[in-house]
Amino acid sequence: MPSLQGKSASDIEAAMTAFRTGGREATVMDRIAKGFTKRETNAIADWLAQAGAAK
Amino acid sequence: MSPLLTRRSALAGLAASASVLAAPSVLAQAKPRVVIVGGGFAGATCARSLAAMGVAVTLIEADQRYVACPFSNLVIHGTRDIAQQTFGYDALRAAGVDVVFARAERIEPEARRVLLPGAVAITYDRLVLAPGIDMRFDALPGYDSATAERMPHAWKAGAQTLLLRKQLEAMDDGGVVVMSVPANPFRCPPGPYERASLIAHYLKNHKPKSKLIVLDSKDTFSKQKLFMAAWQELYPNHLEWVSLASGGKTVEIDVRDMSVVTEFARHKAAVANVIPPQRAGSIAQASGVADRSGWCPIDPVSFESRLAPNIHVIGDAAIAGAMPKSAFAANAQAKHCAIAVAAMLRGEPAPSPKLINTCYSLVAPDYGISVAGVYQPAKGLLADVEGAGGASPGGASREFRAREAIYADAWFKVVTEGVYG
Ligand SMILES: Cc1cc2nc3c(=O)[nH]c(=O)nc-3n(C[C@H](O)[C@H](O)[C@H](O)COP(=O)(O)OP(=O)(O)OC[C@H]3O[C@@H](n4cnc5c(N)ncnc54)[C@H](O)[C@@H]3O)c2cc1C
Ligand code: HEM
Repeated sequence: MPSLQGKSASDIEAAMTAFRTGGREATVMDRIAKGFTKRETNAIADWLAQAGAAK
Repeated sequence: MSPLLTRRSALAGLAASASVLAAPSVLAQAKPRVVIVGGGFAGATCARSLAAMGVAVTLIEADQRYVACPFSNLVIHGTRDIAQQTFGYDALRAAGVDVVFARAERIEPEARRVLLPGAVAITYDRLVLAPGIDMRFDALPGYDSATAERMPHAWKAGAQTLLLRKQLEAMDDGGVVVMSVPANPFRCPPGPYERASLIAHYLKNHKPKSKLIVLDSKDTFSKQKLFMAAWQELYPNHLEWVSLASGGKTVEIDVRDMSVVTEFARHKAAVANVIPPQRAGSIAQASGVADRSGWCPIDPVSFESRLAPNIHVIGDAAIAGAMPKSAFAANAQAKHCAIAVAAMLRGEPAPSPKLINTCYSLVAPDYGISVAGVYQPAKGLLADVEGAGGASPGGASREFRAREAIYADAWFKVVTEGVYG
C-alpha cells in the first residue's frame, strides 16, 4: 500500500480526483474515492498533509 | 518481562485504578475517565485514540495476548505462523492507556460501574463496550463448547485455529472436510469463503483425493461472483458449495458420528469446521445493551447504545447497519467513537462520521479480492454512500489479483502496527 507520508495536499487531492473520475488505474481507491465529495476530499487531503508533515 | 512481574504489575494497575475510581464520579476529579471493555481491533484502537487525545482511559481485557483473526485462515492453510497473529498490550501502556487484565463480569449503568471478579468495581464517566462475539452454543443442536474441541469453529483465533490446522494435516488423503456456515449476521461475512478457498488450495496440493463440502445456510454471500468464478477455475474437483436452496442448512451436529446433518442428508466428515451462529460478547447480554437479536443497537452518529446511556458499543458486537463485522470496520468505528466520546465529555455533540470499510479475502495465497464500502448515518443506521464501494472487478488479470493479495498483507501490517505496535 503506497504511503501518503510527505505528500502535499494538492498531490493527494489530484490523486483522489483521478481515482474518482477513472483517470487513474486502481485496485480499490476508485471505489473509495467515489464515496467522498470534492469538499470532503480537500479537507482529508489538508489533514493528511499536515499529519504527514508533523511526523 | 517475567510472567510473575506481568501479573504483579497487572494487579497493581488494577488496584490503583479501582481505588482512585471508587469515588463517585460527581465528586470526582477534574479529569473524566473512559473505561473500555475488550482490547480487540475495536477496543484497543479506541483506547489508543483516546489516549492520544489526552483523555484518561482504562482498558479492561480478559487475555494478556490478543490473537487476531484476519489472516488466520493462512495459519489453517499451513503457510503462516500463529505468532504473526499474536499481539500484546505493552505499546498501549506506553501510550498512556491504563491496561487491566481481567474479565469484566457486568456493567451497572445507573452506578456507572464495571464489575470485575473479586468484587472490584471501576467507575466511568463514559464506557465503551467492545467485547466482540460469542458463539451461540445453544443454537445448533449437538454443538456446544465441548463439541468444538472435536469439530472446531476456529472463529476466534488461537487454540481453535491450531486445532483445525492439526486436524487437516493429520487427515488421510481422500478424507472429506465439511464446513458449516451460518446465516447472517455473523463475524466477517467473506471469511468462511476465504477459508473454504484456502482449505481447497491445501487439499489440491497436499491431499488431492480429498474434498471440501461447504454447507451454507444462505443462498448469497459476500463477493460471491468472484469467489465462485475463482473456485471453478482453481478448485473444480476440491470444493463443493451447497446453498440453502440446495439443502445446505445445518440442522444438527452429531459429534459421535462426526457428522453435519442437514434437512436432507448426513455429511460424515474426516474433519469438520462448524461455524455456529453468534451474538455479541456475553457482557453485552449481561448488561442489557443487547436486544433480542443478541446484538447491540446503537446511534450511528455517537455509537451510544440505544438501550443504556453513557455506554458506547463498537466493533462486531454493534448493529452497524450496512457496515460488516470486520476488523477494518471495528478500527474505523473505534477512531470515530473516540472522537465522539471526547466531544460528549466536553458537553458537545458528537460529529457525524463518514466511515470506510475494506475487506480483503485470499482465494489463493497470491490471489486477493476485496469489497469496499463508504458509510454515513441515514435514518438511524449506518448506510452505504451511493455510488461508492463494491467488489473487485470480475475478469481481472492474475497480476491484478496478485496486487490485491499484497495490499491485503500491507493492510494487516499497517492496522496492527497502528493498534498494537
Ligand atoms: C477467520 C476470520 C478471518 C477474518 N478476516 C478478516 C479480514 O481479513 N479483515 C477484516 O477486516 N476482518 C476480518 N475478520 C473479522 C475480525 O476478526 C473481527 O471483525 C474483529 O476481530 C472485530 O473486532 P472486535 O474488537 O469487535 O472483537 P474482538 O477482536 O473479538 O475483540 C474482543 C476482545 O474483547 C475481549 N473481551 C470480551 N469480553 C470481555 C470481558 N467481559 N472482559 C474483558 N475482555 C473481554 C476479548 O478477549 C477480545 O480480546 C476475520 C474473522 C475471522 C474469524
Ligand atoms: C479517504 C481516505 C483515503 C485517502 C485520502 C487515500 C489516498 C490515496 C492516495 C493519494 C493514493 C495514491 C498514492 C500514491 O500515488 O503513491 C492512494 C493509493 C492507494 N490506497 Fe488510498 N486513500 C484512502 C483510503 C484508503 C483505504 C481505506 C485503503 C484500503 C485498503 C486504501 C488503499 C490504497 C491502495 C491499495 C492504493 C494503491 C492504488 C490502488 O490500487 O487502488 N486507501 N490512496
